[in-house]
Amino acid sequence: MSDPTAAVPENAGGTDAAAAEVDRLGGMVDRALTRLEQTSAFAKLTARGPLLDISGRLLARPGGAAALYARAAQIEASGVFMGTDWDHPEILQPSLATGTLAHGDRPTVTLELLSELRLLAVAQRELFHPRLSSEQAQHFLSQLLALNLNRLFGPPGEAERGKEVITTATRHVVGFVADYIGYGEILARLSTEIERILAQRPIMVDDVKVMVTRIAACLHDPDISPGGVGLGAARLVSALFGPTAGCREDPGLDVYKDRLAVLDDSSLQQEARAFARAMHDTGLVSPYHPVFLRHSTALERGDLVGQALGLSSTGTEAFSCYASLVYSLIDTAITPDTTQAVYGLALLLERGLLFDPAIAPALWGHIGLKPSATVERTLAAAFGDRQPAATLLLAGTISVLGQPLGIGQGNNPTCQAARALSMWALAAPDYLLHLLTRAARDDDIVMVFEGGRLSSSTLAAGLAPTPPIDVDPVSVVLVPHLDRIYIEMGRLCAGRAGDPHAWVNSAMHGWWVGQDTALVVDLATGHLADSADRFVRLFHGLYHPLYNGNKPVTHPQPAGIAVTDSLGRFIGWHAISILRVGLGPQGDMRVFFFNPNYDGGQDWGHGVIVSTDGNGERFGESSLPFEQFAARLYLFHYDACEEGRSDAVPADTVEMVLAMVRATWAADKMPEPEA
Amino acid sequence: MADKNPEKGYVALLGWSLGAIDAAERFDRRYVVVAPDWAEPYCQEHGIPYVPWNFERLNDRSMEIAEKLKAMGVDAAIPLFEETVEWAGAINAVIQGNPRLHGQAILFRDKALMKRRAQLGGIRVGIFEEAHDRGDIIRFLKRVNQTLLKLDGDPNDPIHIKAFDKAGCLGHRVVRTADDIDAIPDDEFPVLMESHLDGWEFAVEAWIHNGKVQFLNISEYVTLGYSVFVPASPELEAWRPRVEQEIEKLIKTFDIENGFIHPEYFVTSDGTMYFGEVAYRPPGFKVFELLERAYGFNAYQGLIVCFDPKSTDEEVAAFFPEEVVDATGYAGCFGVYPRQRVVSDLAIPEETENHPYFESHELTAPLESKVTKRTAFGTHWGLVYFVGDDPGTMRDLLKRQEELDFYV
Repeated sequence: MSDPTAAVPENAGGTDAAAAEVDRLGGMVDRALTRLEQTSAFAKLTARGPLLDISGRLLARPGGAAALYARAAQIEASGVFMGTDWDHPEILQPSLATGTLAHGDRPTVTLELLSELRLLAVAQRELFHPRLSSEQAQHFLSQLLALNLNRLFGPPGEAERGKEVITTATRHVVGFVADYIGYGEILARLSTEIERILAQRPIMVDDVKVMVTRIAACLHDPDISPGGVGLGAARLVSALFGPTAGCREDPGLDVYKDRLAVLDDSSLQQEARAFARAMHDTGLVSPYHPVFLRHSTALERGDLVGQALGLSSTGTEAFSCYASLVYSLIDTAITPDTTQAVYGLALLLERGLLFDPAIAPALWGHIGLKPSATVERTLAAAFGDRQPAATLLLAGTISVLGQPLGIGQGNNPTCQAARALSMWALAAPDYLLHLLTRAARDDDIVMVFEGGRLSSSTLAAGLAPTPPIDVDPVSVVLVPHLDRIYIEMGRLCAGRAGDPHAWVNSAMHGWWVGQDTALVVDLATGHLADSADRFVRLFHGLYHPLYNGNKPVTHPQPAGIAVTDSLGRFIGWHAISILRVGLGPQGDMRVFFFNPNYDGGQDWGHGVIVSTDGNGERFGESSLPFEQFAARLYLFHYDACEEGRSDAVPADTVEMVLAMVRATWAADKMPEPEA
Repeated sequence: MADKNPEKGYVALLGWSLGAIDAAERFDRRYVVVAPDWAEPYCQEHGIPYVPWNFERLNDRSMEIAEKLKAMGVDAAIPLFEETVEWAGAINAVIQGNPRLHGQAILFRDKALMKRRAQLGGIRVGIFEEAHDRGDIIRFLKRVNQTLLKLDGDPNDPIHIKAFDKAGCLGHRVVRTADDIDAIPDDEFPVLMESHLDGWEFAVEAWIHNGKVQFLNISEYVTLGYSVFVPASPELEAWRPRVEQEIEKLIKTFDIENGFIHPEYFVTSDGTMYFGEVAYRPPGFKVFELLERAYGFNAYQGLIVCFDPKSTDEEVAAFFPEEVVDATGYAGCFGVYPRQRVVSDLAIPEETENHPYFESHELTAPLESKVTKRTAFGTHWGLVYFVGDDPGTMRDLLKRQEELDFYV
């Protein structure tokens, strides 16, 4: 590690003066701890300043982390965490903690660091915490370390003056914790985490690539010697930096290009197959992959292109029918800056999308599409200007068509728009291409709502104050328009009796959205509706194969979810789409749905953990057992004529679902008892 | 929460101070917080005994709170802020059946009345006058400087302008020139004007029970408005016998039986002690925290024990340590003012942070770049605390802080 003194036990490595300083500050910490412990519970929040200030300085000294770790029990007992989220360690999130460490002010970061040391004591079974098991603590710390690898191994960032103390303190604590948890564990944990994300096959994998790069740096650092990192980490690194024999040692794109010119035919085929294997295995595309594809395309070697894309007979068939279109797509859109489009292209071919009569001509249109100056600027702001906007957009289009469930909303309040994009990519790709053309070329899309034309360019901004830039290129271009139109449709419905989604969702998304709407919240009061029982039955009667006459879901149906946190507390309303309902591998009836959040694997509390892998999900799907899903659902669409045997649903089942509703998101939405 | 002894007094804390409430919570007497109604949710959540009251000017309804506290069996009301001193006097007059207490409180609230009363009691004060407009100030400035035999063109000796009824340094201005006078906003009038005394200014905190001083601390200002430490250095402590005499005079003149006073004095170069002003409430600048750090007793609990008429002399005597000799060190603090015109970040100077006397600070980083301004005294951005064994080092250290940038 970069700072060898960080984890040296107290008094062992430092000079006597340094040890004396740690002792001196330790004495001050003890006094502050005693003072805080004596303080009444209600005053602790304002009285903890001295402890945090002195602890921050102590942590910045070599041996300081050990000195405070030795006081973990007193720190917990002092009440320094009282009145804050840290008082509930069971709900702490490693990702939020990482944000705190990076951006918090000094007292908050210090509090976070003290919490980490306390959790370490819990993990080591040296401290008992009534609400947190040592396994949970261990789990939290491993993830935290994985997210903060840069603090362990990387050079210190641009430490601003005045923040040196706290950045040093953070590095010391992270290093100290790492010594206990073990580096091998961290890397293994990180690669598991990455694999969990990749199993959802998101289009945007920039963050994943950063993490893989960090792992790669660790693997090549002899100081770390992470014994038994596992194949997982090595596999991810090689998928990104050296997936084939020809680029195993990461020689650089130019060198690789020169090498290709002299490879014999069987070597080229091996390269192609190795690329395809790495790509389909991980969902990550190496920058060498586009070099190979462009090389093969220039030679018009369809066989190599097909192998490098890893096509099955379906994909190969589509490719051979539309070879010149595919060559043109590769030529225009696939570059080392748009690598992920390779994966999108492979899946687009595999979906047989090109056999749809409208798609091939529409894609030809997109190859020649010239984005407006506004769109050019927006795309350059989001993705840089190394590639022309037309290339970025076409690459994004390929990805979206290939991976409809890989679309995400990013860090934006635009789940409806992301859901609509995904729905069209899946069920109406020609319509999506049509909208995209208009938005990219004319900066305007038009939708008809109840006979009136809504033109997005004339509407005020929607939910997102600024255009999103942390999403895929298609979303960057289209989401602001969809957002505005969606809000405008809602505005036009204001004042009507009933939920606006009843009119908006079918008008916005397509003919397949059910014309009737079921809602379990009473709009006037915000309380759980009296007819909640009917709502649950109706959902079974329309979507549950055992009650709806075994009718499958044909098109993605928009639905509304009450999202809850890991303690089951209500967070907010969220737009998803129901994709299908079927038996999981365990024989349980599950709802498979699309969640526009980047990471669909979420803990919604009270045992409701959304699964994204291992329960029969296809890439990008989330799933829950039918009843658990019903217990978070608050709105769905249907056609009344399709209703099955809602009355046959056992009362026990309905009551079980409603009990889950009342215990979680509707806990504070219960109707007032009649007077 | 400490067990409450029903034999001992029941006190009401006037105003919202978490430090005081915490001290009362941990003390053996029953207490109730009297504070504006915004404090109610907090008190309910934390089970803090509470009576809502909005402290505005005394009015027709003022008896209500006094009667209410009396009905509850409260024995004494303790003012925590300048704004509640008059209220405490009025309430104590009712619950202790002693109407003089209200008149006494008004003396503490009005700086001009206070000085007159002190003068009548044979206490030495500087020259002072009330001013109702800028013209009054110009006349006073001229007259003071004439008295000092200054010629036209000599730089003026400054005069001090203070609000009548604000705490400590709030509204305090130093005036030397006509321009300084122009800078005073209309809404600050009327004000009290005082001649400037060149000398050593210091403050005293005195806890009084049954008309006797129970604990007397001298707070040494290194620079007024910037820094203070306790106990005072041996040089200043040498004045203690004189200070004790002066405090006895104050107790007599203001007829104080139980409570706490916080006067300020000047010692001029010829050894004369001048009375500045006196407040009947805890001092600012966290002197109570410094005392706790130096002596280990809780100064708020000291207030309660002194204000409580049921406290016995033995209990009071046992509560307080012996001045100076029982202190385990010198505790000081420095009030930080940004020195740059525009600041964007908090940066504790390394020499401060690494000084062995440095203990902690309560400064927060500015949320955005801020243009700073400093009018009058008394709006520091937070305090920095020091503890050490040597008063000379402490004084130099506190002085040195004035030259350092805490905000950049």
